[in-house]
Amino acid sequence: MYYLGIDIGSLSCDAVLLDGHGRVVADAIVPTGAKNAEAIALATELVLNRAGATREKVKAVVSTGYGRDRVEGRLASVTEITCHARGMRHLNEKARILIDIGGQDSKCILMSETGAVVNFAMNDKCAAGTGRFLEAMARVLQVDIDEMGELDRGARGDVTISSICTVFAESEVVSLIARGENICEIALGLNRSIASRTVSLVKRVAPDIDGMGIAMSGGVARNRGVVRALEEALGRPIFVPEAPDLVGALGAALFALERGARRVSRDDGRHADGRREGECA
Amino acid sequence: MLGQYFESLESGILSSIEKDGGKASPRKLYALEIARLGRRLYDGGHKVAWCGVAAPFDLLNAMGLTSCFVEFVGAMLASTGMAGNIIEQADHWGYSSDACSYHRSVTGAALAGLMPVPEILVGTTCPCTGGLGVIENLARHFGKPLFVLNIPQNDTVEDVRYLADQLRDLVGFASGHTGIPFDQERLTRAIENTNAARELFVEIFDLASRVPSPASSKDLNNFMISLALLLGTRECVDLARAFKDEFARRVETGSAGVKGEEIRLLWIQNRIQFKNPIEKMLEDEFRACIVIDELNDIYWDPIDPDDPFEGIARRCILIPFNGPSSRRIEHLKKLALTYRVHGAINPCNWGCRQGTGMRGLIEAGLREVGVPVLNLEVDCVDDRKFTEGQFRTRIEAFMEMIGSNRSSRRDS
Repeated sequence: MYYLGIDIGSLSCDAVLLDGHGRVVADAIVPTGAKNAEAIALATELVLNRAGATREKVKAVVSTGYGRDRVEGRLASVTEITCHARGMRHLNEKARILIDIGGQDSKCILMSETGAVVNFAMNDKCAAGTGRFLEAMARVLQVDIDEMGELDRGARGDVTISSICTVFAESEVVSLIARGENICEIALGLNRSIASRTVSLVKRVAPDIDGMGIAMSGGVARNRGVVRALEEALGRPIFVPEAPDLVGALGAALFALERGARRVSRDDGRHADGRREGECA
Repeated sequence: MLGQYFESLESGILSSIEKDGGKASPRKLYALEIARLGRRLYDGGHKVAWCGVAAPFDLLNAMGLTSCFVEFVGAMLASTGMAGNIIEQADHWGYSSDACSYHRSVTGAALAGLMPVPEILVGTTCPCTGGLGVIENLARHFGKPLFVLNIPQNDTVEDVRYLADQLRDLVGFASGHTGIPFDQERLTRAIENTNAARELFVEIFDLASRVPSPASSKDLNNFMISLALLLGTRECVDLARAFKDEFARRVETGSAGVKGEEIRLLWIQNRIQFKNPIEKMLEDEFRACIVIDELNDIYWDPIDPDDPFEGIARRCILIPFNGPSSRRIEHLKKLALTYRVHGAINPCNWGCRQGTGMRGLIEAGLREVGVPVLNLEVDCVDDRKFTEGQFRTRIEAFMEMIGSNRSSRRDS
């Protein structure tokens, strides 16, 4: 039997399929696009094909991400905060602070020694410093988003860019390009801008980070430049898993395994006794 | 516009009560009294005093003034879905869109001719200077006399006397400008009503603190902040008794405000005033109940009806929002422990420096007593800034966190 986790975010729909022993047998990342249902169907089809499995062999599905309530046939829906914490705990038991930067959210999650979420903080009011921010900046710099991570190599660090608003930052970048500023300096300024915003989230949940393992998940963690800027700002190394954008889906799949194995009935995210994920029995 | 709204609200509630054979829930009676207050403010037949939140409403009621804090108008505009357009008027006048929407909506309403012209205005230096600024603006806009109560911060004999003397001056000021003579006997009766209501409020909050709580998340929504406007009146006593009797009945019959209550929550500062799904979501999906609001507490002693000025002054000074943040935090901790809450939600109203400035300290203080805090950043008045999906994720994650931590504690 298989257990499926689906993380439907604003930019991508990620799926992870586990076997009964909790081993990842397949994963997939597809663009969310305008139609959630199509992205969910495609991601599901891809992981099933890659595992050589059929839908009937999937015993439980748990969904997460902003579109979590749109996944049909789910056993439960669990927020991305809880799922990312669960997924990261599985990958790195020492992580106590998890920074997750996705398409439109950035969040910091504080975990207990046992991996339970004890506090979290999320970006509010605007999505500056998230994946959408980086996409917009890549467009202005006329580079591929995947190239952004190494663009800051060799920069001295003498450019500061506003972290208040994506649109303002974009116009700042346009002005910097116009005055002939080196692209690598602009890239470093952008990475530091994201780091500065993110560090305030970290400090909100953990004023003292001494002795705490720090990890990062979400698509932005693939950008090495942002990770380096965060490491510099926090003065600590950050653990980034091989596939940081799949951590939420992995957490959801792990919940599917735990809950599915307990044969909990599915009813709009509730257990058989009416509880939702995380609620006390 | 608002006058018509309050009139039709009052008549609608009255016909609904009549249809139900004269029976009404306490919450319906509460809505009726708020509608009546709104109608009195707007019908042109009453002398109106626009005030700050900490004004002595029993004293003003005893003087025959229909008095109200200006933020009430912001809340009403929000609940009717009209705040957005009105706020724009204030923005056009030069208010920053980062400023408090309670105050922007009041200012917009005044500019749009939606605020009745008062006889006098009574500003208070507590709880916030933004509110006082609005009152000062309104005084200039209407060309009406303003009295400012400087509320000191300490519960000392000197500070109480200082404020009590100002209250005596206020009586002379109000009487002089409205032509209403001061009647000591009427004030004595009003304070007797205040004390009677106070006793009932103490009982209501004691009942609400039971596990499970007889109060649902909506029962005591905006309760004490609104009923402060009715202090000193017979209606306030009757309303308090209706709530007390209903809660006592529910406790006796084992009827919880939220069936199967699982999670108990403390709501910090004010609720979100426009229609939103949060309370229903908490109750339906998580069996979570807001059992206590920060402003629903009796922190003041009974007042001497024959010499009330010192007692009223102490009540103003002891408002938990007055003075250093440590006082407010200690009050929140006391509520959290008394009501045995599992978590607290702080809406951190946009533009409210009072609300957001100390949120880190509040969070740290409540964590000392084992209560996690969810800081939302929400404009409690302007629904144009509300994004349901974002709030849903934050609240769901907070509920998951509380649920999982309670499970872990039980397992260990």
